[in-house]
Amino acid sequence: MSKTYQMIVCGVGGQGILTITDIIVIAARKKGLHVLGSEVHGMAQKGGSVVTNLKIGEKLHSPTNPIGTCEVLVGLEQNESLRYMKFLKPGGIAITSNTVLFPISWKKDKEAAENAKEKIEENITKFDVKLVMIEAENLAIEAGLALTQNIVLLGALSQVEEFPLTEDELRNALKQRVPVKYVEQNLKAFELGIKAAKIL
Amino acid sequence: MAKLEELIANEENRVLCLGNEAIARGAIEAGVQLFAAYPGTPSSEASTAIIAASKRLGFYAEWSTNEKVAFETAYAASISGIRAMTACKHVGINVLADALYSAAYMGTKGGFVLLVGDDPHCFSSQNEQDSRWLGVSAQVPVLEPSNPQEAKEFTKLAFEISEKFESILVVRSTTRISHARSDVQFDKYETSLREGDFEKSNRYKCLPALARANHPKLVAKMESIKEWIPESGLSVIEGQNGIEYGIITSGISYAYVKDALEILDKDSPILKLGMVAPLDEKTILEFARDKKNIIFIEEVDPYLEDRISALFIQNGIVPKIHGKCSGITKKYHELNSRLVAEALQSVIGGELASVGEIQKAEGEITDFIPFRPPLFCPGCQHRAAFWELSKVVRKNKGIFASDIGCYSLDPWVTDTILCMGAGISMANGFSRVIKDKPIFAYIGDSTFFHTGLTALANAVYHKANINILVLDNRMTAMTGFQPNPTENIDIAEVAKSLGVEYVVVFDPYDFENGKKIFEDALQHEGPTVIIMRKICANEWWRQQRRSGQKIEVYHIDPETCIACGTCIVQYQCPAISWSIETNSKGKKYSIIDPSMCTGCSVCSQICPVEAISKAVDIDE
Repeated sequence: MSKTYQMIVCGVGGQGILTITDIIVIAARKKGLHVLGSEVHGMAQKGGSVVTNLKIGEKLHSPTNPIGTCEVLVGLEQNESLRYMKFLKPGGIAITSNTVLFPISWKKDKEAAENAKEKIEENITKFDVKLVMIEAENLAIEAGLALTQNIVLLGALSQVEEFPLTEDELRNALKQRVPVKYVEQNLKAFELGIKAAKIL
Repeated sequence: MAKLEELIANEENRVLCLGNEAIARGAIEAGVQLFAAYPGTPSSEASTAIIAASKRLGFYAEWSTNEKVAFETAYAASISGIRAMTACKHVGINVLADALYSAAYMGTKGGFVLLVGDDPHCFSSQNEQDSRWLGVSAQVPVLEPSNPQEAKEFTKLAFEISEKFESILVVRSTTRISHARSDVQFDKYETSLREGDFEKSNRYKCLPALARANHPKLVAKMESIKEWIPESGLSVIEGQNGIEYGIITSGISYAYVKDALEILDKDSPILKLGMVAPLDEKTILEFARDKKNIIFIEEVDPYLEDRISALFIQNGIVPKIHGKCSGITKKYHELNSRLVAEALQSVIGGELASVGEIQKAEGEITDFIPFRPPLFCPGCQHRAAFWELSKVVRKNKGIFASDIGCYSLDPWVTDTILCMGAGISMANGFSRVIKDKPIFAYIGDSTFFHTGLTALANAVYHKANINILVLDNRMTAMTGFQPNPTENIDIAEVAKSLGVEYVVVFDPYDFENGKKIFEDALQHEGPTVIIMRKICANEWWRQQRRSGQKIEVYHIDPETCIACGTCIVQYQCPAISWSIETNSKGKKYSIIDPSMCTGCSVCSQICPVEAISKAVDIDE
């Protein structure tokens, strides 16, 4: 590949954002591609808004993706997907979980929160992107482990047309990265993600 | 992150790692034999990796109590002929500066490297202090890598330069280098541990007469390093030669320049400086002499711009200067390839896709997107402690001086946060001028040993009428759970031995007791020390899960819950949220996410209708 593939993964701290990045990076390295990523450490470890930048390609320089440059966004939470939507290039693909984790300001006002929740998708449509909404939580539970929502989305990502890594490459990296005792549930989550993306 | 095995394996290999781990590998390849540091984002992972490696490679490394202690420990090893290193975040420099400025005069023997992680954009810091100025103010050479691979090479090289010139070498990283992840080429290294020896010499005493003699030597040393840079390969000129434009840059800004030129589809001569102090004057002047425009691309301060502009004046060359002075980049926050492309476009032209539509959409959603600040973790004892305190502080209209640590995230009572250890000293100051309100200081265990001890001694000595609350969670949690002296030095005993009469230790989960203790402490004249001791809930939770221990989670009865919001809105536990379904009265209620609950029990203690209790295990 000659063109650099730029993407971001976002969500709420603790949702397994770094795990997705890890798996992509492992698979890309195995394929002989260069990767460059940028992470947030320290204060935002839990409960804060978290985003990681990722570049896959041959000639890589700066580790971050400015607005309007990413091919794909993987979001583990709808508000966070919306927050970082600006990083997608026009026509880019937003794979987002339909999960909504209420920030503290929403917890204070139940009614306003419910109204706001309905408007997330409407706000997303203000951006020129292709939206792929996945019921990640339900599928993760179906896979037998609620914590595998990130892997469901990884499965969906593998179906993106120009994504530089294949299903098999990601599957192998996944086996290497997740705890041995949860490989089975993770693989199932990955398959359910693939299926969900195909239906759409 | 890279595994310890990979980090220490003595073989050529391409390893996927963080910039900080690449720095650690550089130190290992250089044969570092003593390492001491205090953690601080974004430098911590470098220290963590070196300290982990030290145990396997057989050299001495420690988490010191503060940056100054760490620097001095490493410096003694260096002047004993041993390769030594210390690391800190940019504000840590302020703590070790006292030692640094004088050590620069005295010089080094074994290679001595000071890694500093700057944090443009304040991702996890209180300011955007630019450490490159140390090259001018402390007169120490500063290397600035532009990617993780260079971070490794420059660290290794820093030891060699340090030994060649008997000078302290600063390696300046930034968040985007330290926390970048990429594949880095590791090399083989020599493993030979040496014994140190101290050769007695007057140069290691900073007495006035000796210091006066050392200073001209330091100036001459910086001159000779300056003369040496052109042959070092640290200054690199790239791109087509031309007389119209030239870009001067360094560090991560170089990476942005490379991407920006690709975006603009433009070529321009670039001078990339690997060493930013002293400046490679010869190469800079050669590069700029025939150019009409010089563009400076750098983050935060106009360091290169101001210094090199002065150099141009001194040498009678007058290119037009573009940079912070002309406003093409800002004097604050980080850059990215788009911002640099916009800056370059304004001078050299080129096409740049519009992001107007995206910015318009962003403008429309800005008010909608909820703010999501980092919060105390579920079960965090800081939350419990602050909750108890907030009642007492508010009731008594107290002033609350907090400090640096996880507890900086308090949403309720904190009035001031300044720097490490400032809470106790500021409380002392408040107590001298505010007479009718109780004064509180808050400090964690690591910060207590960092700079709180001296402030406490001062408060006792001067009989300050303040209440010092120490939240002892048994580790330096915020920067990644590093150990500190609280492991085997009891803070209560320390306070008593300093002469504090009122010292109490209690469990912050024990609510009613806590409130009583605070009220009681307020009746006491002179400093009180109240220690809330409990292992960091996050670390405890991890330990439980790793060892397969069951966590007894709590549960809310939908029918009893009156949806008052005490646990959600006021206490703000992230494990608790509103239900999707309604109860038999058609009302929403609170629910606890069992995968997040740590079983701390605090919500059950504060629930006004006793709706919360230990969950009955359905598996058994």
